[in-house]
Amino acid sequence: MNNTWTVIRFTFMNKVKTKSFLVTTLIFAILLSVGINLPYLIQLFTGDGDSGSKAAERIGLVYGQQQELATELETSWGQLTTNYELIPYETEDQQLLSQDMDNGLIEGYLKFEEQEGGLFPAVVYTAGEDRMELELQSNLQAALQIIKTRSIAQGLNLTEAQITEINTPVQIESRSLDAGNAGDAEGEGAFPGSSAEAMDYVLVYALVILFFFTLMSTGNMIASEVTTEKSSRIMEILITSVSPLSQMFGKVIGMLLLGLFQILSFGVVVAINLMLPHNIEVLKDLNLDISAIDPALLILGLVFYILGYFLYAVLYAAVGSIISRTEDLGQAIMPLTMVSLVAFYIAIFSLSTPNSTLLKVSSFIPFTSPTTILVRVGLGDVPMWEVAASLVILIVSILAFGWLSAKIYRTGVLLYGKRPSFKELMKAMKAYKM
Amino acid sequence: MLRLQLEDVVKIYADKTAVNRISLEVEEGEIYGLLGANGAGKTTTMRMVLGLIYPDEGKILYNGKPYNKELRRLMGYLPEERGLYPKVKVSEQITYLGQLRGMSAKEADKSLKYWLEKFEVPDYYDKKIEELSKGNQQKMGFIAAVIHNPQILILDEAFSGLDPVNVELLKSTVKELRDNGASILFSTHRMEHVEELCRNITILHRSNTVVKGNLKEIKSRYPREEVVLGTEGEVQGLDKLSGVTEVTRTEGGYLIRISELEAAQSILNTAMSQSVIHKFEVKEPTLNQIFIKAVGESNE
Repeated sequence: MNNTWTVIRFTFMNKVKTKSFLVTTLIFAILLSVGINLPYLIQLFTGDGDSGSKAAERIGLVYGQQQELATELETSWGQLTTNYELIPYETEDQQLLSQDMDNGLIEGYLKFEEQEGGLFPAVVYTAGEDRMELELQSNLQAALQIIKTRSIAQGLNLTEAQITEINTPVQIESRSLDAGNAGDAEGEGAFPGSSAEAMDYVLVYALVILFFFTLMSTGNMIASEVTTEKSSRIMEILITSVSPLSQMFGKVIGMLLLGLFQILSFGVVVAINLMLPHNIEVLKDLNLDISAIDPALLILGLVFYILGYFLYAVLYAAVGSIISRTEDLGQAIMPLTMVSLVAFYIAIFSLSTPNSTLLKVSSFIPFTSPTTILVRVGLGDVPMWEVAASLVILIVSILAFGWLSAKIYRTGVLLYGKRPSFKELMKAMKAYKM
Repeated sequence: MLRLQLEDVVKIYADKTAVNRISLEVEEGEIYGLLGANGAGKTTTMRMVLGLIYPDEGKILYNGKPYNKELRRLMGYLPEERGLYPKVKVSEQITYLGQLRGMSAKEADKSLKYWLEKFEVPDYYDKKIEELSKGNQQKMGFIAAVIHNPQILILDEAFSGLDPVNVELLKSTVKELRDNGASILFSTHRMEHVEELCRNITILHRSNTVVKGNLKEIKSRYPREEVVLGTEGEVQGLDKLSGVTEVTRTEGGYLIRISELEAAQSILNTAMSQSVIHKFEVKEPTLNQIFIKAVGESNE
């Protein structure tokens, strides 16, 4: 146990100092920062011509024959927190409106059209260049809904209290939506699904990508580390000092810590970036809320990450141990890379169909379950027992493959020359009495 | 008690016997020579002693007991192609290896500094292995093998590829370790090192033990067949003496091969009567000759 710690520490300290690790981590961190700031940057460049920044956009409001309605809208509009400003127009003067739109004075305009047989007029929005933005639509819907209720109720001779009462159920409905995403009061309905769901989506996406990339890099590092030790013959000294088992697991755990350390640094980079004031705004616009992250999903993600990592890592170590020269490594780890690619793509392509059979099946296969179960838990409906079953299958296969890998490792590190075939490996195992 | 004892150890790989019934004993404070051509089974024997692979037959005892985990801390190993991490600092990897052998980081560091000082290369402490010359890499490998002051030290071709100065340095170090009580299993195909260092030897040839025992006894078993003669002037008629098989003229003398020891006396008499003699020696066979002979015989 003591020795395992020594190996863990040595592996970690040595790798964390290497230039390649520092450079890849830095590049990834920069990419992440750019990625996070991208929405803001895009907004910056595509923002409306004259103001350039996120100043209030102006929307024309044609009073026309609906004087009362328009006034009410303007009143309630004032109570909303919104980026849009309503500019009143007395009549629907096409020429004036389109002229103003061309000059960028207004983005588009709104008018009410009498509906035959309808109690409430239809609301028509005529846009200039761009289509109606989601935020504007949601703001308008919210404001008009109340007004509509009010105007219909008026005909019934209700008291002010009763009107409020009529409005109340609507508010209950919206409050239940609010509960999931505290601090995001006016966003509901803007994004398909609630903010929490959106956050789950982003989280699952991020976890799957993280899993794939850190696994690829640490897995490669483990295999090449083992091969290097073998080709530099330090392996012979190592296995006479430490049992192959503690050596292998020391290395695997050391690399896991390295991977976690990398993830942690990415996490810090992401957090710092999201904390920047301009990004908070953008996030709000995208209807994402950090506090809506489901901690259970995060923990489950971490657990499956670690377990999945172990499964792949022991196999990478075993593959590394049967190779004598680093040049042969790429070819030898190809099958493992393929399998991890499959796990990655099944998860990514199933994000929109989280309850598909493919996903269901693959969430019970240990090599693909670390990513696919996350998609199911985060985005689909999955009974608790299935998660538990997947977890158990994964743990059992870690033990099985860990045992097998340790055996291969123990034999492989003593075999030099050309890459042994499976048969030769078995023969050697027998000869060495492993 | 015997530090290390191999009794009829056999190792069979799938298609061939790598080591066939080898037996040897190493005492405390002894250097044991394991000789043999390439592929004779030296490395396999050493790997079995190290516990890397298990013998198919026979047994290996350490201090009278079979292999156990505690032995890892008592054994040191310098592999033939001495391995160290090329891109890691000397100080980091050697203290690491010391720690794996059960030392504390502090002890290992202290021991490393002692050894670097001894080899007069204290500035290598912060160097990476790949920055060092091959001979110096080997010294670092040697330090890695002895850092924890092992009871049983296994040196596979420890001196190959070293310049004469460094060979002497390592040789004297090995002797020092022996005098401090270490039991050393030493493999080489350079016979002169063995003659200088080892008390007992085993010569392996194609997995079999062909010669085994005390070096002096082995030598006395092989007849003395060479006479070195150094004379002032020429000596005539040496090749006509009975028992002389071959006479070679050398710089300032003769090298004479004889088939029986009595011939030496008559050579001396003949030479004395004709010239002034600087040197006369009936040479005992070199290990090299014994080796070639032993290996040659078993070949036939």
